[in-house]
Amino acid sequence: LSLIESFQQKDLTERTKKLKNSLRLYQEDKEHLFETKAIEESLKLLQIQAQLEKDFNQPFTGLSLSSTVYKLITINQGSRATKVRNDFQMPDKRFWWIKLRALVEIRDWDGVATL
Amino acid sequence: TGAHLGHTSLNIDSLRDLARKELVNVLDSDHGVEKIYHLQPGPLETDCKNLIYICRPQANYMKYIAEHIHTHTKDPHAGPYTYSLFFVPRRTALCEKVLEDEGVFGEITKGEYHLDLIPMEDDVLSLEWDSTFKELYLDQDTTSIYYAAKALMRLQGIYGLFPRILGKGDYSKALCDMMLRMRREMAVDDLDASQTLQLSQNIDSLIIIDRSVDMVTPLCTQLTYEGLIDEIFHIKNSFVEVDASLANPASTNTGAGGSAAAASTAAPGKKKKVPLNGGDKLFGELRDLNFAVVGGLLNKVAKRINADYEERHNAKTVPQIRQFIVKMGGLAAEHQSLRLHTALAEEIMNYTMTDDFNRILEVQQNVVAGIATNKEPEYIEEMINKQVPIVQVLRLLCLYSLVNNGLKPKQFEFFKKEILEAYGFEHIQTLDNLRRLGMLTKQVTTKNTYSLVRRSLSLIVDEVNEHAPNDISYVYSGYAPLSVRLVQCVVQRGKDGARPGPGAGSGGKGSGVAGGNGWKGFEDVLRMLPGRTFDETQRVDDGQPRSSKRANGQPKISLVFFLGGCTFTEISATRFLASQEGGQRDFVICTTQILNGNTLVDSIVQKVPDLHASG
Repeated sequence: LSLIESFQQKDLTERTKKLKNSLRLYQEDKEHLFETKAIEESLKLLQIQAQLEKDFNQPFTGLSLSSTVYKLITINQGSRATKVRNDFQMPDKRFWWIKLRALVEIRDWDGVATL
Repeated sequence: TGAHLGHTSLNIDSLRDLARKELVNVLDSDHGVEKIYHLQPGPLETDCKNLIYICRPQANYMKYIAEHIHTHTKDPHAGPYTYSLFFVPRRTALCEKVLEDEGVFGEITKGEYHLDLIPMEDDVLSLEWDSTFKELYLDQDTTSIYYAAKALMRLQGIYGLFPRILGKGDYSKALCDMMLRMRREMAVDDLDASQTLQLSQNIDSLIIIDRSVDMVTPLCTQLTYEGLIDEIFHIKNSFVEVDASLANPASTNTGAGGSAAAASTAAPGKKKKVPLNGGDKLFGELRDLNFAVVGGLLNKVAKRINADYEERHNAKTVPQIRQFIVKMGGLAAEHQSLRLHTALAEEIMNYTMTDDFNRILEVQQNVVAGIATNKEPEYIEEMINKQVPIVQVLRLLCLYSLVNNGLKPKQFEFFKKEILEAYGFEHIQTLDNLRRLGMLTKQVTTKNTYSLVRRSLSLIVDEVNEHAPNDISYVYSGYAPLSVRLVQCVVQRGKDGARPGPGAGSGGKGSGVAGGNGWKGFEDVLRMLPGRTFDETQRVDDGQPRSSKRANGQPKISLVFFLGGCTFTEISATRFLASQEGGQRDFVICTTQILNGNTLVDSIVQKVPDLHASG
């Protein structure tokens, strides 16, 4: 599976390329609708993360979706976090959990109170 | 119950001796070892010229060795080195290929060190082959079956042929077939040797249980003392690593115990390895108990030791004092082990008191008991939202899936999406692994085999007495491990083939495996479980009547082989079975490795290198 290979690529562009490869493989097969969608999402996430790295000069790639949102809140980028959340249609429940944990982490008690 | 723990009439020492002798043979080729190094990557700096490597046949180890040799040959100042390499337990073609590719094949003298079954205790033998589960069930790499068969053949060489081999599961069958074939091959190669093999005097059966038959048990949280230590601290090769401050008693003590734990005064926060085995008498008493009763027992022992110390006031005459001093040494050692176990128990207590632990446990018990509510999936969802370690989430989710014969399609998609988004998309692979193992699947039929099996083998026992257990279900506070229940099926024949369960078969009457009914009476249940069922008899061909010359009075022994690993709790439960047999039967447990739910799930989780690891 070229998928494992793609995750073994340390370099971002290499990883994207490999991911696209495996995406094509999955698309040929109707059985793997779920995987196809998942890889599309992961590509999208990698793109966003690359953009975030440029904007905030902090490492983002390689984080999961939840961790990305979490990190955004801890560096006081709540609006960007909400945007990522909307992009991926993250369920409310999970988003609030993440937000709560993140706010507690940075001791933003006002933020917690206004939840 | 204590009488049976860890003591079997099978002389494990002869196996220990064999291992020791062979090690000497291996090392003897060089006379006198100067230094021992742990094999690791990077150049090896040593002033020794004769190097002996002893290692598992794994490709990366070969690479390390090759690297050592390369740096040596490049160094002009270094004189000639000689290299010997011993594979434990056997050489493989793959490793030799790696050495050839590295161009060092010719430089090394190669041999094998047949250390296969390592006696962990008097009644526990393990191949300590940690990756067996993944290799066997995920990669379908059957090397470990070969190792297991070889190891069992060696056991037969020492103790005689096992008259009867029973088992359940496809890989178990493969193991049995391989053993029978090896015996036939032996007859062809070396007729004399094969004919001197007698039927074993005390081992009357080998029972092979395949891990794929019972995946539920290892996923449950173990509740015995030893099991919990393993869950929380992880026991590796019968050593546990704990905080040095835990293991080190305040050094006010005389240290007369001479135990390794007292050896050094380490800085706090430093980890220390503490051996856990039957040599520690107190641990021997505690290990198989349900954790609920451990506290009380520790308290009792503490009081007793205290009373023993107090005796010194009664020592008036010189002989009395001398007698007390003789006793002192033993007391100090006992004291030391008491301190260690109290500290360990306290740590475990801290952990078991947490809300999370209790909620997970409650969910687990509801799931295995088949009490259906929608609270369980909800809790799993909450765990994901809280971003608890993925291993814990998967453990519970797999348990849920196994018990319910898969998740409902919508649920299945939902959890897959949740996990990928919360833990990273690389887990597409993890999920696929779990699906291939049948541990996390989409429901196809509503027919639920688990609940049928649960009922017919009474896996759930409502009233459990942890203090005076009467059934193996005490180990999980109400759930009887399926794997051990199967062993019980073979060994204990209740009257009229009554179902094993609480109270059944305690008489030990008619518990003869060799001539017994084997699986008879349980065919229906066995058919529901995956894999083949078999029952083979081994005979000696020299026309000798199948003797009943078994030394009477000696308990018979069943060898129980867990292919693909077993948990400490299953070991405890098997020991408990022996105690129910009233001295008629002992069990010796063999396994490919000892595992728990965390190590099992962890071995199939997809690992990814960090994108930022190398800058």
